[in-house]
Amino acid sequence: MSSIVTAEQVSKTFQVKVRDPGLRGALRALFRPRYRDVHAVRDVTFRIDPGEIVAFLGPNGAGKTTTLKMLAGLLYPTSGRVEAAGFVPWSGGPSFKRRIALVLGNRQQLVWDLPPEETFLLNRAIYDIPAGEYRERLAELVTLLELGDVLQKPVRQLSLGERMKCELVASLLHRPPLLFLDEPTLGLDVTAQEAIRRFLIEYRERHGATVLLTSHYMQDVTALASRVLMINRGRLLYDGALEVLVARIARTKRIELVLGGGGGGGDDGNRVTAEALATFGEVKSFRFPNAVLEVRREDAPATSARLLAAFPVADLSIEDPPIEDVIRLAFARGVEENA
Amino acid sequence: MIKRYAALIRNAWLVDLQYRASIVLWLLWGVTEPAIALGIWWAIAGDGSVAGYARADFARYFFAVMLINQLTIAWDSWYLDRWIREGELNYRLARPLHPAHEAVAENIAYKARTASVILVVWLVVAVAWPAVRLPFDPGRWAVTAVAVLLAAAMRFFISFTTGLLAFWTTRATAIMDLHAGVSLFLAGRIAPLALLPPAVAGVAGVLWFRSMLAFPVDVLTGAVHGTDAIVRGLAAQLVWLGVWVGAYRLAWIRGLRRYGAVGG
Repeated sequence: MSSIVTAEQVSKTFQVKVRDPGLRGALRALFRPRYRDVHAVRDVTFRIDPGEIVAFLGPNGAGKTTTLKMLAGLLYPTSGRVEAAGFVPWSGGPSFKRRIALVLGNRQQLVWDLPPEETFLLNRAIYDIPAGEYRERLAELVTLLELGDVLQKPVRQLSLGERMKCELVASLLHRPPLLFLDEPTLGLDVTAQEAIRRFLIEYRERHGATVLLTSHYMQDVTALASRVLMINRGRLLYDGALEVLVARIARTKRIELVLGGGGGGGDDGNRVTAEALATFGEVKSFRFPNAVLEVRREDAPATSARLLAAFPVADLSIEDPPIEDVIRLAFARGVEENA
Repeated sequence: MIKRYAALIRNAWLVDLQYRASIVLWLLWGVTEPAIALGIWWAIAGDGSVAGYARADFARYFFAVMLINQLTIAWDSWYLDRWIREGELNYRLARPLHPAHEAVAENIAYKARTASVILVVWLVVAVAWPAVRLPFDPGRWAVTAVAVLLAAAMRFFISFTTGLLAFWTTRATAIMDLHAGVSLFLAGRIAPLALLPPAVAGVAGVLWFRSMLAFPVDVLTGAVHGTDAIVRGLAAQLVWLGVWVGAYRLAWIRGLRRYGAVGG
C-alpha cells in the first residue's frame, strides 16, 4: 500500500526577532534587529498509510502544529520533502485542498452570527457538493455527532462542544480522505471529548479516512490512535504503537492518595510520614492529606491494596504518569526507534 | 463560481441582518461627511459661486460623492489585518477558494445594500429639491458606471494590498488610515478637486486619488465632459488599476511565502 503522507528529513526553522527589554531594547531592535533561529522541526521522517489514525504527541511548542501545518500546506519546510494525498502541500492548489480537511481547535470557520447550517451551505458551494450528496452527508454527520436541533441556532449561542462538532461537520462535508485535526478536543468537557473521539473512530471505519491529530490529552491518543509520533523540541523521538511506548517509557504508575484521619498525626502507630510512604514506592509529593507515589506498573494494584490496609485513605486513584513526564523520560533516555 | 459568490453574498447579508443598528450607523456616517462638506460650501458659495461652483453645483457634487463613495469604498484592509494577525487566514487558505473572492463578495454585498439606500434617498430628495436633479443622459450614466467599476476595483486592490502588509507589520491599518486621511482631500471627498490649489489638484491627478472618486463623480455631474477628457480619465483609471493589481500580486505572493516561512 502506498503512503498517503510522506515526510522525508523535514526541518522547519523560524527566524525570531530578539529584543532586549525596555525602551533601549525596543530602539535597538528598530535599527539593528537581531534574529535567532528557532528549530521548530528537525529532520523528521515518517510515512502514514491510508486509513491510519496517527497522533502527534508532545508538550506545547514541541513542533506538532508546525508539522501539521506543513502537511496541510500552510507552511513550507525549510528543508526536506513533504507529500500528502499525492501532492506537495505548499503548491498543491485547489485540487489538494479538496482532498484534505483542516480543523484547528482554537480557530473556527463557522460564521459566528449565523446558524452553523449557513456555513455548511457556504462550504457546499465552495466545494461544489451536489445537493443530493450534501443532504445525505449532512444527515449522516448530524446523526453521528448527535447534533439534532443545534443546526438552526446561531453559533454564538452554542456550547464549545457543539461548536467543535459543527466545525467537524463543516470540514467533512466534502468528504476528504485526509484529515488534519489540531487539538480537536481543546477546552472541551469530558462528555464532549468522548463524543468527538467516538465520532472520529466511527467516521474512519465508515469512510476509511486517514486522520492525523495533535493533542496533549493522553485520552485522545489512547482512545484514537493506533500509532503515535512523539515529538519534542522538533525531533521525532518515537514512532509506533502507544502501548509499546508507554510500557517502555512509563514503567511506573502513579498512585494518588487523599489520606483520611485526623490532621496527619496520631499516636496509634500508623502515623503517616514520608518515610512510612516511602516503603510503598517513590514519594513524588507529600503534603497532608495529599500524597503521590510512583510504583512499578505491575505492582500498582497490590501496592494500592496494601496502602488501603495500612493508612486511613479517603481516596485513591491510579494514573499513568502525565504525558509530559513520559515525554521527558523518553527525551532523557532517548527512545530507540523501531520498537 | 457564480454559485460560490451567491452563497458568500447571501451569508454576508444574513450577517448584516443581525447587525441592523450598526448598518444604520455606518450609513449615517457615509451620509454625514458629504452632508457637512455640502453645508460648508453652501454657506461659502452664498448667492455667487466658488471656482465656477454655485450652490446647486455643490449639491449635485456632494450627492454624487455620497453615492459613488459608498459604491467604491473598500474595508478589506481591516478584515485582512485581523485574518492575518489572529490566524483566521489559516482555514481560508486550506479551502479551495482564494480568500480574495470572499472579500470581493463582501464588497458586493456591502455596496449593494448601502448604495441602494442612498440612491433611494437621493431620488426622494430630488423630488422635493430640483437642485440635486441630474439631466436625463443614459450615455453619461453608462460611462459613470464604467468609471465607478474601475474605481471600485482599484480601491478594493488598494485596501486588500494594504491589509496584506499585516504579513510584515502590525501597523497595516494605520497605513490605511493615513491613506484615507490623504484621500479626504485628494480624492475629492471634502471639496471638488477644481477648488484645490492647482499644485495639490495636480498631485491628485498624477497619483491614483482622482481615479478613486473625483473622476467618476465629475463624470456623473457633467464636470468632466468631452470625449477626450473622459477617455483620458478612464485611461488613468485603467493604468492605476493595473499598478495596484500588480502591487497586490506582489504582496500576496511574497506575503504568503513569508507566512509560510514564519507562520501565523
